[in-house]
Amino acid sequence: MGAHISIPMYQRAVPQRYRLIGQRCQSCGRINFPPKAVCKYCLQGTTFENVQLSGKGTIYSYTIIAGGGAPPEFAAEARCKGSYPVAIIQLEEGPRVIAQVVNPPEEGITIGMPVRAVFRKIYEEEGVTRYGFKFSPA
Amino acid sequence: MSKSIISYGVYLPYLRIKRDEFLSALGSCSAAMKEKTVMDIDEDVTTMAVEAARNALAGLDISRVGVLTLASTNFPYQEKEMAGTMVEALGLSNNVLSAQHANSTMSGTQAILSALGLMDQNDQPYALVVVSDAPTSAAHVDLENGFGAGACAFVLAKDEPGLAYEGVFGYSTEAMGLRYRLPGETDMRDIGVKAYATQDYNETVKAAVSGLMEKTGRKLADYNHVILHQSDAKTAAALAKKMGCTEEQTKGGQVFAQLGDTGAGAPLLALCRVLDVAANGDHILVCSYGSGSGSQALSFKLEKSLVAQTNKPMQAALEYKKYISYVQYLKLKRSI
Ligand SMILES: [Zn+2]
Repeated sequence: MGAHISIPMYQRAVPQRYRLIGQRCQSCGRINFPPKAVCKYCLQGTTFENVQLSGKGTIYSYTIIAGGGAPPEFAAEARCKGSYPVAIIQLEEGPRVIAQVVNPPEEGITIGMPVRAVFRKIYEEEGVTRYGFKFSPA
Repeated sequence: MSKSIISYGVYLPYLRIKRDEFLSALGSCSAAMKEKTVMDIDEDVTTMAVEAARNALAGLDISRVGVLTLASTNFPYQEKEMAGTMVEALGLSNNVLSAQHANSTMSGTQAILSALGLMDQNDQPYALVVVSDAPTSAAHVDLENGFGAGACAFVLAKDEPGLAYEGVFGYSTEAMGLRYRLPGETDMRDIGVKAYATQDYNETVKAAVSGLMEKTGRKLADYNHVILHQSDAKTAAALAKKMGCTEEQTKGGQVFAQLGDTGAGAPLLALCRVLDVAANGDHILVCSYGSGSGSQALSFKLEKSLVAQTNKPMQAALEYKKYISYVQYLKLKRSI
């Protein structure tokens, strides 16, 4: 289930992974995140303007990863925690992203719950820490 | 040209462990904190640094940051510039003068001093200083019991009102066998002679503070807040008392009881706590200490409260927490 992402490939995505840089389509004005070669909304736009997303959003849907369901790069985390939540986040600017949720509330995650992006270690491979965003209750 | 801290930000891990957990699991605890911060499995010095820096930079024009200095005794890589990660995560200009300070719990004040110097080397008005630390050892090492984690960040500006920097006095001397770590090792060593360690702390810190008083022509009594480096609960308090400080002067900067030993962050997280409550006109003294040994005493005057800008970040960070058990603690440390 694990998907190897080479260091150069990860490196190219640093602006989006480290600080949520999205792109506004010059044809339809909608915001693509992660960035695309062709706008996923109008399927025509190929020129974009970089935009800094706020990192604010709400839980659109979520699941709990447990019982050996974690991909290899997250196995250590699953072993340590027993389980961990992964959610689809509806970002304020429009796009939906998949990410882990940290510091989940005692009473559990709820649909519509406000969250904000935080900077975390995503996983480690070849001794190199891959940093990126997760979401925390806002 | 005057230089001031115009903003501060704090990040503390959400997870905490109470001293009672050590007592009930091990029957003892070598450190006298009440509770301490614990990094989650996906946190490290860099992630804490980014969050503290984002808090400090909120509402400011980050394109004006021309200097970035960092401090930690535990950078995630022994060789690799952490400033690069910070620049990309924060969206700072790639044209920053950066410096990293490590190897000592004194590195936090060193990072402030180097930022003050580097600010003269470019035209940008702001410098960002980030101190993030998480001293680590194996669970069986006595010193480990007290080790906490946390980060704080400061934005320094030229010719803007804030916490004005007034001056520094540094003191360095040889002290062998106190809290040291060899290349490639993660466990801290110490010859464990408490009286010798306390004597070195007292003499070194006192030399820096007295030197600063002589240089500025002030008396300790002139300071509303006196922060002496706290790597345990009692030594700093005892020295402050011996030097004639009142409880009124030292209580504002107490953080050890709630965070544990935050290494290079200790005196500066204490400064953040003071900044939460300090009033305009207050004089603040911050004194770091590093085993080995050395001490730097810095003098500040609060010209304009920073609380409105930052909304009491230390108090808010202290209140946001979840307690874990000793077994969970060992799992997070990858001990079991
Ligand atoms: Zn489009």
